[in-house]
Amino acid sequence: MKLAKRMLFNKRGSLIGAVLAVTIGILVIHVNFVIFQGLFDAIVRDISEYRNGDVLVTNEDDYIDKSDSTIVRFFERISYVEAATPRLSSTAEMEITKNGKLIEKTRIPVVGVDPFTDIRASTVHETVTEGTYVFSRNSIVLGNTVANDLGGAVVGDNVKVMIIDRWGEEQTKRFTVSGIAKSPGGQGFDYSAVMHIDTLRDMTDRVDQTGSIMVKLNDPSKAFEVKEFFLASFPNDDFLAETIEESAEQQLAGFRSGIAMINMIGYFGMMSSAFAIVTIQMMLVNGKTKEIGVMRAIGAKRKDILIIFIFQGMLIGAIGAGVGTATGLGYTIYAKETKMSFNNSLPLEVSYNWEKIIQTALASFVLAIIASLYPSYRATKLLPVEAMRTG
Amino acid sequence: MKALDDVSFSIEQGEVVLIVGSSGSGKSTLLNMIGLLDSPTNGNILIDGTNTTTLSDNQISSFRNKKLGFIFQFSNLLTDLSVLENILLPIQIAGSELSSEKDAIDLLKAVGLEDQVYKRANKISGGQAQRVAIARGLINRPSIVLADEPTGNLDSVTSQTIVDLMKSMAKKLNQTFVIVTHDRQHFGEVDKVITIKDGKAFQDEEASTMEITV
Repeated sequence: MKLAKRMLFNKRGSLIGAVLAVTIGILVIHVNFVIFQGLFDAIVRDISEYRNGDVLVTNEDDYIDKSDSTIVRFFERISYVEAATPRLSSTAEMEITKNGKLIEKTRIPVVGVDPFTDIRASTVHETVTEGTYVFSRNSIVLGNTVANDLGGAVVGDNVKVMIIDRWGEEQTKRFTVSGIAKSPGGQGFDYSAVMHIDTLRDMTDRVDQTGSIMVKLNDPSKAFEVKEFFLASFPNDDFLAETIEESAEQQLAGFRSGIAMINMIGYFGMMSSAFAIVTIQMMLVNGKTKEIGVMRAIGAKRKDILIIFIFQGMLIGAIGAGVGTATGLGYTIYAKETKMSFNNSLPLEVSYNWEKIIQTALASFVLAIIASLYPSYRATKLLPVEAMRTG
Repeated sequence: MKALDDVSFSIEQGEVVLIVGSSGSGKSTLLNMIGLLDSPTNGNILIDGTNTTTLSDNQISSFRNKKLGFIFQFSNLLTDLSVLENILLPIQIAGSELSSEKDAIDLLKAVGLEDQVYKRANKISGGQAQRVAIARGLINRPSIVLADEPTGNLDSVTSQTIVDLMKSMAKKLNQTFVIVTHDRQHFGEVDKVITIKDGKAFQDEEASTMEITV
């Protein structure tokens, strides 16, 4: 073992090369994970924070007819629940007069919120970068994109909103812009308008109806239990309760396959590292041909030679896995601490997936050993006299 | 074409035997066969009563480790190891430590290198390296030490020192030495000289305990 260590450490260039190969393999996987899983988790986070909560309650066919305050109160009695809030959605046409010019915009998604419960169950209000969140029945928050499309609407502007009610009649109301919402990556309500839920109910003639109840948990891991408890408590209603994984599945399905592909690329990278180790180990064997011959001459068995080079593979694997994991973790910490984002997009939701970190380190360690098998086998095949002559 | 043909001789315990001959005569091939580094197409090599030609690869390795010591022309020390570690290598390969470090240091004293114990093998001179190789060849108390042109790479003064050292060790330890050389005169009086010519062996003396037939 001592000899194996010395042989390897005295060939610093080869050692560094082999360790770098393993390190880069691991780093690629860590970087992929931080970026793509981080992006995925960030989207999940934003969908959860802005739209669906940890549990989303809707009606199987239509709108929820049960009183929203009854459902909200029910949820808020559950210890895992932090808050619950009703939401109602529709689409609207808007008009604004800017500098004497009438600007129209159609098919704008409109979300009705209860300002008092919404700020507890959602962080949408934090995306209001100018002005304030919806505070009265005639205030409206415009998404940044909508505001731009309306000729650069600003806080205090007056907008005319037209909505087709449930009977097909056009309902018109004037609102004062109370705030402009802008979220990183546009995952919030940048393309929507937010108004008081009662106003939207009036305009759509859906008094006492609710589109969904968004439930925020203080322990998101209990989402399934909360959902099941809710459904069991209202067996005669046509409620549909979904965890964030279920409610966002459609939006995330494509992304999930993307991540799987990126992970595959990462593992292919690791395979390239294995080829690099094979090459470097072959160089080590070639460079030590004479020594192998001498050792065989003085009594080393083929098995002894095999052990030396496999042990070297283990050393390369162990050092590479250590350095690679440390570097990868360094990058992960950096990404987490700096709330890394690209081109002002949404900040990555960086997490430490210890299972994956350990799995990656072990995989690269095992791969380094496997990559050492062929060069080690080649070393055992050397005949002492030939080896001493060649070296 | 045969490298060696109809070669048969015996070596007795404690003898210093020279194998001489011109370049390409087959003397190194003979030494490699005695050292089990090469095997004859026909015939037997008997060492301490063991017919070595019937041994498996693992048995050959063990046999080489326990019964044979090697001194090569270029010393062939492992440059990654220290002088002491090089001497201890056969012991470590055998898997036994057995107060071997003390033996190794005693051997280093015997070859006059007690001050070089922890030096890296590539930091010592050619003559010193060859003395370390002698110590390494002797550490396992082998039945035979095989030396292939041990002075071939040294100047004449150093060569004489190495020859004298081998002869004195042979006498002191009652150790058998089989030495291939083309430098007969350096060795002076030895127990036996085997001359290889055109693959055939000619012997100036006869003995009986160790028998080699190729």
